[in-house]
Amino acid sequence: MPRIKLEGVSKNFGKITALEQVNFEMQDGEYVTILGPSGCGKTTLIKIVAGIWTPTEGRVLVDNKDLTNTPIEERDLGYVFQNIILFPHMNVKDNAGYSPRVKGLSEEQIEERSRNAMELVGVLEQQGYLPNELSGGAQQKASLARAIASKARLLLLDEPLSALDARVRVELRYALRRLVKDLGLTAIHVTHDQDEAMSVADRVVIMRKGRIVEVGEPAQLYNKPRTLFTANFLGQSNFLEGTVQMVEDGHATVELRSERFLKVPSSSLSIGDPVVLAIRPEHLTLSPEEERPNTLRSKIEESRFMGPYTRYTLRAETGDELLVDIPTSEARVADGSSVSVHFRLDFMLSYTRPSEGLTEALKLE
Amino acid sequence: MNLDVKEGEYVVILGPTGAGKTTLLKTIAGLSRQDSGHIYFDQQPVDTLMPFQRGVAYLPQNYSLFAHMTVWENVAFGPTVQDWSPRRRDQIVREMLNLVHLSDRRNSYPRELSGGMQQRVALARALATQARMLLLDEPLRALDARLRLELRQELRTLAKYLGITTLHVTHDQEEAISVADRIVIIRRGKVVQTGSPKEVYEDPSTPFVSNFIGEANFLQGILSRVENGFSVIVLSDGRRVMGRPTSVPVNSKVVLGVKTDFCNVLAGNVEGQNSFTGTVVQSLFTGKRTTLEIQTGLGLLKAKVPSDQSFSEGSEATLRFQPENGIVYPVPSEGLQVALEVE
Repeated sequence: MPRIKLEGVSKNFGKITALEQVNFEMQDGEYVTILGPSGCGKTTLIKIVAGIWTPTEGRVLVDNKDLTNTPIEERDLGYVFQNIILFPHMNVKDNAGYSPRVKGLSEEQIEERSRNAMELVGVLEQQGYLPNELSGGAQQKASLARAIASKARLLLLDEPLSALDARVRVELRYALRRLVKDLGLTAIHVTHDQDEAMSVADRVVIMRKGRIVEVGEPAQLYNKPRTLFTANFLGQSNFLEGTVQMVEDGHATVELRSERFLKVPSSSLSIGDPVVLAIRPEHLTLSPEEERPNTLRSKIEESRFMGPYTRYTLRAETGDELLVDIPTSEARVADGSSVSVHFRLDFMLSYTRPSEGLTEALKLE
Repeated sequence: MNLDVKEGEYVVILGPTGAGKTTLLKTIAGLSRQDSGHIYFDQQPVDTLMPFQRGVAYLPQNYSLFAHMTVWENVAFGPTVQDWSPRRRDQIVREMLNLVHLSDRRNSYPRELSGGMQQRVALARALATQARMLLLDEPLRALDARLRLELRQELRTLAKYLGITTLHVTHDQEEAISVADRIVIIRRGKVVQTGSPKEVYEDPSTPFVSNFIGEANFLQGILSRVENGFSVIVLSDGRRVMGRPTSVPVNSKVVLGVKTDFCNVLAGNVEGQNSFTGTVVQSLFTGKRTTLEIQTGLGLLKAKVPSDQSFSEGSEATLRFQPENGIVYPVPSEGLQVALEVE
């Protein structure tokens, strides 16, 4: 039911611009995560959708109805906060039944709705407990039960997992996505955690400095980020600066430092363009052989066991540092040895060198 | 609790909230007194020493910088209180600010700095007292996930450069694996397992550890025999699975744990050893790897596979693992579910 549209939304707090000309549209039943570093405006955005704050400029439309100035209590939505806010004197069941009760439903309906919600979220067995008798994860599940018992079609999740332990978060991700999809809700979920954002969402919105940088499906954003910021922020990437030397057959040859060259697929680069090449650590491969196309000789400075993969830190002959992730079962090269790092064409990306400098373009805070 | 930390070692204390991690750090720092037992630094008991006499730098979870002091003044606080000569003080402050890459922000006030920078100042301030031991309580918790990746490397590099013995408390498994020489896993006030990151990851001593560091699938059954060096387990539906050899006696109830990282997935119904066919109910993409949830006759099983292998939700797939990745445990007396609880 709810389709959400933001039109030219800006929000200022005094002299500070928290949001600047945000345009965004989402479909009914879509699960969207808003991801960005602290201070990027993601919390402001969700609070404007909720009606907690009014935009300085622009409009918020839900199903084509202008709700820009409608207060939160008149919007039909469920809201889950980062800092779990349950009524401390009410048990889980009464917390879950709060919204149906306020709406004046019969005892029978309240019972049915709270029961369904608790069952879906998996806190039925704890229905008699007070919030302070529950673990953090169970408390956040109870908040979810309360939000969905309101039968709102729009669910707003404001850093819902951030206060929880890392391991619990992973567990709740599965539950969250399943819940939203099973109930056919439209959900907006704000987070600073890349893995969380990618794993639950249909689409991810990447924000920075009050603006939307990029929007896309998780795999598309991860594999083909349109900006350098996304390439670095969503997962990690290696970056190499250079200048285009030659262009032919959909490929560009880029001169890096120390007169080394790499080829990249390209349809739009011209000779002389200053570029930044990017590739993810798991897309680079190592081999002891000297001569292979599209490789850089490098020295292994460090290797580190990371569980399923082993991370190598290398110094390439261009002077650049490279991170390479190799599945642990195949990781056999020793620290200090010299290897060829192979850049597979289909995994390489190229960007115009940013005018503000690479460091500034990648900055995380 | 018994724990032995070597000089210059970087030890991570990993466990869920409420496991006793912070209590342990505070007791070592001298901010909390143990009811029984002793703490030694270089074989000297420190039980009766006040915190400031112990020579430890303790960075609590909710540290606060002096808001009215500049970065330089914050870092110089310890040396000033300890009445060092201005020359020695300035030298150490300069060195510390250099190490945390904040020399050019020496005249800034904390409110003018980002969260990551404030964390670095706090670290420099703790280290400027030239402590012999560094205690870090969830040092990265307040920071954005992506920034944590950068700062955790810096922490380890810094500790190793200074050669300082470090105890770092966290609830984050990846953080623990990426920085530690040795991980101490604690739960409910007790040490569950101690070992290098590789040891606790590849040879978890209990089902809890197996599922806490990474994620694991569990299959319950009866150990029927040992064949070709592998344990053969008969599951509830009569099927057999093979796992690593075990000291558990034949015919007892066992649980086999296998990390989701070590499970492969094949399209369709593929017969074979240690293979379980079902329907992909959810596929969660996390960049490098994708977690597949597969509903099988034995319940929901998960596999974390490289993201270039894609399986659509609703399709038939077979999860498979190598016998050497299946670890056989006795069934925990408190029941498997309770044994796995992460909070």
